[in-house]
Order: sequence, then structure tokens, then C-alpha cells
Amino acid sequence: MMNRRAMLQGVLGAGAAGGTLLSDLNSQARAAEDTPIPVGSALPMSGLAAADGIEFKNGLTLAAEEINAAGGILGRPIELHIEDTKEMGADLVTQAMQRLIDRHSTPVIINGYNLGTNMAEMDVAADNDVIMMHYNTLISHNEKFKTDPDRYYGSFQGDPPEYWYGPGCLNFLKNLADTGQWKAPNKKIAIIPSANEYSIVIANAIRDKAKEYGFEVSLFETVPFPTNQWGPTLAKLRQDPPAAILVTHFLPQDLAQFMVQFLQQPTNSLVYMQYGPSLPAFREIGGANINGVLYSTVIGCLPDDYAKPFREAYRAKFGPTAAYLTGSQTYDGLWMWAIAAALAGGPGEPFNKEQVAKVAAAMRRNVYRGVNGTYRADPAGQSAYCYPTQVADPSLGMPHQFLQHQDYKTDAKLVAPALYATDSFVLPPWIK
Amino acid sequence: MLDIFVSIIVAGLTTGALYALATVGLSLVWGSMGMLNMAHAAMLTLGGYVAFTASTSLGLPIGLGFLAAIVAGAVAGGLLYVLIVSNLLRHDKSTFESNVMIATVGIGIALENAILLTYGGQPLKQPLSVSGALVIGPVTLPYQNILIVAVVLVLMAIVALLLGKTRMGRAIRATAQNRDAAQLLGVAVNRVYFQVLVLSGALAGVCGVMVSSMTQLSPPLGNDPMLKAFIMCVVAGLGNLPGAITAAFGLALLEAFVQFVAGARWGFPSLLFVVIAVLIWRPSGLFGRAQIRRM
Repeated sequence: MMNRRAMLQGVLGAGAAGGTLLSDLNSQARAAEDTPIPVGSALPMSGLAAADGIEFKNGLTLAAEEINAAGGILGRPIELHIEDTKEMGADLVTQAMQRLIDRHSTPVIINGYNLGTNMAEMDVAADNDVIMMHYNTLISHNEKFKTDPDRYYGSFQGDPPEYWYGPGCLNFLKNLADTGQWKAPNKKIAIIPSANEYSIVIANAIRDKAKEYGFEVSLFETVPFPTNQWGPTLAKLRQDPPAAILVTHFLPQDLAQFMVQFLQQPTNSLVYMQYGPSLPAFREIGGANINGVLYSTVIGCLPDDYAKPFREAYRAKFGPTAAYLTGSQTYDGLWMWAIAAALAGGPGEPFNKEQVAKVAAAMRRNVYRGVNGTYRADPAGQSAYCYPTQVADPSLGMPHQFLQHQDYKTDAKLVAPALYATDSFVLPPWIK
Repeated sequence: MLDIFVSIIVAGLTTGALYALATVGLSLVWGSMGMLNMAHAAMLTLGGYVAFTASTSLGLPIGLGFLAAIVAGAVAGGLLYVLIVSNLLRHDKSTFESNVMIATVGIGIALENAILLTYGGQPLKQPLSVSGALVIGPVTLPYQNILIVAVVLVLMAIVALLLGKTRMGRAIRATAQNRDAAQLLGVAVNRVYFQVLVLSGALAGVCGVMVSSMTQLSPPLGNDPMLKAFIMCVVAGLGNLPGAITAAFGLALLEAFVQFVAGARWGFPSLLFVVIAVLIWRPSGLFGRAQIRRM
């Protein structure tokens, strides 16, 4: 019989032991039944975010298979149910989540990201007493959670809020200049968000903190979402060339087009982009034009040995171009919840607040090392902590990864934070 | 300053060319048949993907890939007539306009999702594109932009010749002006409808290739050009092809300048403002003719 102390040590000790831990728990479990546990997910399987929606589903599928192979949760296998959130928005996403609960009695809903929801997902989770984990990457999750922590006890954001991109990015640029890796031609930065909450919050955070890091904002240009005609915006950049161009719009195809059109007449500026360059479409569409582009993500599969089996399994199952960087998010989310549900003695079911609250407590208590780094819930907002900008201990925060495309034919190189970096920053080819 | 000015003009003209191509296909069907083809966006997407498949999976030369997109669009237009439009025309003609709009919404959704299931949701690069730019002093003209404008101008000329100089074109124009009179004079109206949808589909196929060469292939590819084409049709007035083309280029240039002067986010709202203004002051469009309906 495993005692509580040994069991918790196993959990805290590591994600590497995720499968083993679950097997151990299962071997001791006296499952009252072996009926499948329904796990829901409301994903954009069609519409503009379908590419990511498919990858989020892939991540869940792989995790569910592995969990079931390990014996399921206390002997009960996981059964996935997906609802399409199409063009997203609060109405479509909340309806999709409610359908999952009404039709399948899902005690948990693990989403990827859904745009334009105003975090209405948290109300569905609260009203039905289910766990909801998502990767919207929004500070509004934290703000909403703070308004009523008791009501939103079951809502978790699997990654740090987007706000941390702002100071993190400025810190990265300052460090490049301070260490002599980059000689900035001036102190100007141009910020280009698109018209959506995620992009604007990051852009505002950069703008508000720019002075603290010694930069001056020369252009703040909001573009439509989505956008692929960059001509007028590029004309403004060429009129007053900044030291760095920070594009917080995040769709990979649009960002690739930015580089294609930018390099027709490049300025002497570093180009930093948000999230999209981590996806295969960016490399495929941009080709050699993307060499030198910097980007960062507060969540994404790390290029380390620990995540290697996941990366290989993912591409073996879903094809060589499958974006494991996206699928890794829901993959970790499902594993994390499954372990917590097993620790709590079962997942519960909708409206069983007592049991679902136990699962939520386990999720708050556990520190989970997944393929994306470490998840530890910030009790103030129930999102992941961000390393190194928010916490200095890498074992207690998810790494804010800075990567650079140095050769479009290969994966991007991780250049910061230093603890995780595999390569050094190189000056982009267009900078003279 | 010249290079900045030219880059805005180039952006406006390229976008205008793409808008014009999408608009002509939509306006042709709308003007001659009174049919707002809501599947036009999906037909446009289909053309882009067929060219992609022909060039990559089948390994055909670029020219044949382009031709395949035209053929696929034309076939889609023909099938739309045979399977949907001809059947709707057999019923109460007074409800044709609304029925066909709803039917083509369904066709469009089905086609877009079929493409999503076939190709997946990840954006793909359209291989039918050219890189590089023509540099004249401080001015840079990307070859892709030059190619798009040239292809569109050639196609516009072909369509104009087709409508103005051929027997088929005369029949289309006659049907557009007065369907019943054209029928009484011996014009095979149903055949005209078929021809118009085939022609519109072929144009959509080309447009899909051109748009995706500037952006990327993705299942919702055609939605934005379709929306913009709808705006151009409203501004220009129903069934006025030269007017639609003028509106497409004019509004695209306006959009580009507004984006530069006021900010990128004001481009689309400026188009909507023009639509509202036109609907208030010239409800039949800048170049359209007043329509009289007898109830």
C-alpha cells in the first residue's frame, strides 16, 4: 500500500513519471466500475482556427491513448467527445461546452484556445460544476477568477497569460543589446497588434513597459484580424525604420506573408513575432524569407530529451507536418487532469461539486512537468506561472521560450531562456 | 517618399485586381440571373486547391495547374446549374432569388468543409507564385504583384470581348436586360444561365489561384474576397461589369490610402462607410440602373 507521502512525492517528482504514476494508482485502485469517463473538448474544428483545432484534438487523442494504455483513471478508460466551435465567440463556444455536458456528462472539458469568448467558458464550468482547462492565454482569465474564486474553482488556464509576453520580450531585446549580441541602430520599436484581445494585451504591455527597458515606441499600428495585405503598414515602417519590429498578430500564414513582403525592401530592424512562427505553416509559406525571425511562446513543446518521445509519437501518428507544438498543450492538459482525477479518487460528474472540487484541489496542489515545461497554478489567477519574468525558479514556472528561425528547412532554435537554450542568437540576414 | 507612395499604389492596385476578379464572377451571375451565388467563395477556394494538387501531388507544370483551376471552377459552376439552379428554376420563379441564395449557402459550407476534410486545416503554400521584384531606382515592384495585375487585366479584356462581341455574350446581355423578352426572341435562357455559371466558376478558379498566391491556401480562403466582391457589386450597381471593375480598383486604392494615413484597422470600415453612403444617395449603385419590381 502506497502511503500519502510517497504518492505525493511521486506526483511532485515529475511528469516523467506521469504514466508510471497513473499505473501505480490504478494498480491499487478499487474502481467501482469500468465504464468510460467522458472527456469533452470544445475546439475550432472548422473556420479560421481549424488548423490549430485539429492539432488540439490530436494532442488529446494521443494523451487519451497513453492514459488508457496505462490503465485509464482508476481502471476506467477515457472516452473523448469533441464539439466544433466553428468561428468561435462566446455564443458558439458556450453552446458547444453545454452540449458536451448535456449529452455526455463530461466532468471535464479541455479546450485549446477559442477566440472572442470573453472567458464565458468559466461560467459554463461554474454553472455545471465541471473542470475546464484551456489555453486561451488571456489575462482576463485571471481577472475573472479573482472576482469570485469560489465560483470559478474549476477553471484552469494551462499556460501563463499573454501579458507576460510584453515584459518578457522587452527583457529579451534588452539582454541582446546589453550582451553585445545585437547593436540596435536606435531605440525605436514598432508594435503591430491585430484586432483581437490576445494581440492587443501583449502590444499594450510592451508599449506600457517600453520606457522601463530603454525603448521608445515609434509606431503602434493595429491591423485587422486576419490580415495578409501588409503594404500600407510596411510603407509606414520604411518611412521611419525602427530597431525592432514587434508583430503581436499570431496567425502563421499572415506572419509569413509579412516576411515575404517585408524582405522586398527590408529595414535594418529585428523582427519579433508572436506564436505563429512556431507552426509548420509559417516555414512552409515563408520559405527562406523567414530566416532570422524571432518569436516566443509561453507554451510549446520543448526541444529537450524529455519531450522527444512525445514529439516522435505525435509525428508518427499524425504525419510529418503535424504541429506537435500545438498538440502538446492539450496533451499535457489531459495528462495533468487525469493524474489529479486519480489522486482525488475519481473525476466526479457534472453537478457533483464535492468530488469535482477535490479534483480541482489536486490540480492546484500538483506541480506537473509536462512536455511544455512546468505547470504550477498561480493561486491568484489559476493560470500557470511564467519563468523567468514572473518566477525565478524554473522548476516552478512554464518557460517563456524565445526561438529563432535560422534555417527554414529545420525546426527553429531555442535561444532563451539560457537554462533551456540549445543555440545562440544570430543576426538576421537582412541586417547590414 | 516616392518609394512609399509607389508601394501604396502597388498594394492598392494588386488588391484591386483581386477584388475585380472576384467581383466580375459574382456580378455576372447576379446581374444576369438575379442570383446571389453564396457558393462563389467556396468555388474560389476550390480553384486554389485544385491548382495546388495539380502542381504538387500530380507534378504538372505550372501552366497546367493554372488550367486545372479554371476547368475545376467551370465544372463546379456547371454542376451548380445542373444539380441546383435548374431544379429551383422549375418551381415558383418569384421565390427563386431567395431559394437559390439559401441553397448556395449550403453548397458553400459543404464545399468548404469537404476541402477542410480533404486537405486539413493547416495553411498551405500555393506553388503557383513567383518570387523576386523589379527594382527601378528607389521603387520596388514585386513580380507577383505585376503578374496578378497583368493576368487580371487580360482576363477582364477576354470577358469584355466575350460579352461584347460574341453571340453568347449578346445572349447573356439580353437575358440580363429582360429575361422574358429574351426568351420570346428565341434566346435559350436556361442555356445562358448554364453558360454564365460556367464562366463565373472559371473566373472564380483563376481568382482562387491569384488570391492564394498572394496569401496562402486555407479552407476559408474565398470568404474575404467574396465579402469584398459583394461590397463592390453594391457600390457599382447590379449587372454593370465595367462599373464593378472600376469600383474594385477605386475602393482598393482608397482602402490602401486610408490604411496608410489613418491606420490599417480603418481600411475595411472605410469600405463599409462608402457602401452605406452609396445606399443612401444612390441606392441602385454608382453605375447601376434603377430596378422596377412589379408586385
